[in-house]
Amino acid sequence: MPTVTLSDALLDELVQICGEEHVFAGAAARFNRARVPSPFPVHRWDEFVPDAVVLPTSAEQISEVVKLANRERVPVVPRAGGTGLTDGAVPLRHGIMVDVKLMNRILELDLEDRTVTVQPGINMLKLSEELKPHGFIYPDNPASYPCSLVGGRIGTSGWSLIGGRYGHTRDLVISFELVLPTGEIVRVGDGGGPKVRKSSSGYQLKHLFMGHQGTLGIVTEATLELVKRPEAEFSAFYAYPSYLDAWRATGDFARSGAATLAGVVLFDEWKLAYLRRDDEAYIPQPESVKAVVALALYGNDDEVRASAKRMLRLGKASGGTYLGDEISQGDWASRHDRYATPLHGRTRDGQVVPMSWHCEDASILYSQLPAVREKWHAIAAGLRERFDMFDDWGMFAYTNGAFKPWGDYLTEIDIGIWEMQWDDESWAAWVDAKREIARVALEHGGSISACHGSCREGEVDLVPEELGGGFEVMKAVKRALDPNNVMNPGKYLLDRAYEEDAP
Amino acid sequence: MIGFRLAAQRPPDPERITDTVVMRFEHIYEVDPNLMTEHTPQQSFPAWDTLRIVDSRWEHLAWMHDHFADSVVSGEELLREIEGEEGEEA
Ligand SMILES: Cc1cc2nc3c(=O)[nH]c(=O)nc-3n(C[C@H](O)[C@H](O)[C@H](O)COP(=O)(O)OP(=O)(O)OC[C@H]3O[C@@H](n4cnc5c(N)ncnc54)[C@H](O)[C@@H]3O)c2cc1C
Repeated sequence: MPTVTLSDALLDELVQICGEEHVFAGAAARFNRARVPSPFPVHRWDEFVPDAVVLPTSAEQISEVVKLANRERVPVVPRAGGTGLTDGAVPLRHGIMVDVKLMNRILELDLEDRTVTVQPGINMLKLSEELKPHGFIYPDNPASYPCSLVGGRIGTSGWSLIGGRYGHTRDLVISFELVLPTGEIVRVGDGGGPKVRKSSSGYQLKHLFMGHQGTLGIVTEATLELVKRPEAEFSAFYAYPSYLDAWRATGDFARSGAATLAGVVLFDEWKLAYLRRDDEAYIPQPESVKAVVALALYGNDDEVRASAKRMLRLGKASGGTYLGDEISQGDWASRHDRYATPLHGRTRDGQVVPMSWHCEDASILYSQLPAVREKWHAIAAGLRERFDMFDDWGMFAYTNGAFKPWGDYLTEIDIGIWEMQWDDESWAAWVDAKREIARVALEHGGSISACHGSCREGEVDLVPEELGGGFEVMKAVKRALDPNNVMNPGKYLLDRAYEEDAP
Repeated sequence: MIGFRLAAQRPPDPERITDTVVMRFEHIYEVDPNLMTEHTPQQSFPAWDTLRIVDSRWEHLAWMHDHFADSVVSGEELLREIEGEEGEEA
C-alpha cells in the first residue's frame, strides 16, 4: 500500500472536526505515537509514524473523523494508553491516529444497579481511586494497571491478575458504545439494555467487538461492573526445591475450590536465576530455591482468613517454604505495576546493558506447562547464542480462567532485548523465534495469546491455523463492516479479506 | 563529592554477597560495579539518596495495596495461629 501523506485540505477538515488544539501534525506528537513497548524495529522507526494525530473529545467527533477517512481512503488507528504488547496501536500504514486520552471522564455512577459508565481514556487505577469513597473497585487489574486505559483493555480483551476471582476485561465490561469503521455510532452488550449482565437476545455482539485490536471500530463509552471493595487481601509466596514440585503445588492451590482465590503464579527456574541477579527479594535466597509459587486472595475479612489458612496448610503439605510477609506482600503489590521492573539485562560475558522487556504470552493447559517451558527456553537460548542482544529473563504461568482458575495458564516468557542493536538480520531472527514460540503453543493444544493479542509479525502467520474456519468468518466480518479497509489496516492478516477470492 | 555530612554523602564500602552482587547498606543490593564498565557505567550516588529511594518504595507498595483492599492479612500471624491450633489438637 502506498505511503499516505495527508493534504493540507484534509488536515483543515480534521481541525474543523476536532478543534485546532486537538490536531497534531508535528514530528514529536507523531513519532512518540509510532511504537508501543513490544519489540519495535527502531532502525525502521520512520515506517510506522502516523501522518497526523487527533485527540477527540466526543463520539461525534470520532464518527466524523472516521467518515472523512472513508471518503479519502486514509487509515485510522485507535490508540489508548499505548502499552499494548502486540503492536495493535502501531500504525502500519501511517494515516490518522485517534488518541482517546482526552476522553477520560466518568459519565455516570449507578450505586443501585452497580455500574459505572466511563469514557475510553480513563485508567483503571484512577477510576478505582474515584470509586473508593463509595466502597467499590473496578477490578480489571493488568500488570499495566497504572498506565493502560479502558479503551485499550477492550481493544485487546485484556487479562487481569485477579481474574480468577473477579473475571477479566470481557467479564467486567457490561456494554459499550463504539464508532463502526464506516462512522455509525452503535451500542453493543450481551443483548440490549446497557446495564444488563446476561441476555439471550440476538447475537452476543459484545464479544465480537472485543479484542479486535482496533480493526472493527473505536470504543467511545463503556459501562463497567462495580465490585464491593474487598475488606482484606492475602498473598503468599512459597519456595520449592524443583520446578515440578512447584508446578504440582500450583495445581493444588488452583484447584482448592476457595472462592476468594484471585490468582496463582508459578515462577520457573530461569525466572529465579534472573531475579537472583537484581531483585532484593530473591538475591538472598539459598541455592536450593529453584522455583516459586505465589497466590492471592481477596474478599470479606472472615472469608479471606479462613481460606488463607487452608492455603497455608496446602503450602506446607506440598513441601513449600513460606517466604515471609515482606516478600509476599511487597512482591505482590509490585505485580500491579511492572514498569518498575529493572530494564537492563546482561551480555553473554555478564556486562550490564540497557534492555527493553518483552513478554511473549500464550494460553497453555496446565498439563503442558513443563514441556512448553523447555521448548521455549531452547528457542530463547538459540537467539542468545546467535546475537548478544537477547537475554532470557525466565517464565511465569498465571491462572487464566475467570472464576474457574484451573484449566489453562497465561504463560509468558520474558526476553530482554538490547534494542539499539537491531538490524535487519537480528529482527528477522526475532520474528522467526516468535513464530516458533507460537508454534509450540499450538502444538501443545494452546492459544498463541492469553492477553496481548496475536497480531505481531511472526506469530500472526499462525493465526489462520489456530482459528481454522473461524479465520474465514473474521475476514467476512471485516469486509462487511469495513468495506474500504480503513480501520487499523494491515493487522491480523485481514488484508486477505479484500483479495478477490475472499468470502 | 561535596558535603558537610560525609556519612550522608559517601556510601560505605561494599560487601560481596554473590558472584555478581554487592551490598553497602543492610538488605540493599547492587550489581557488582565490575559488570557496569562497558555499556552502562555506574554513577556515584549519595548515601541519603539511595536510602530515600528504598524507603519511598515501601510507601509506593503500601499505596498500591490500598487500591485493592482495606487491609492486608499477615501470613506469619496466621501460621502462628495454625501452629497453636495444631498444638491444641495434639
Ligand atoms: C508493564 C506492562 C504490563 C502489562 N501487563 C498486562 C497484563 O497483566 N494483562 C494484560 O492484559 N495486558 C498487559 N499488558 C499489555 C497492555 O497493557 C494491555 O494490552 C492493555 O489492554 C493495552 O491498553 P492500552 O490502553 O495501553 O491500549 P493501546 O496499546 O493503546 O491499544 C491496544 C489495542 O487496542 C486498540 N484500541 C485502543 N483504544 C481503542 C478504542 N477506544 N476502541 C477500540 N480499540 C482501541 C488499539 O488500536 C490497539 O490495537 C502489559 C503491558 C505492559 C507495558
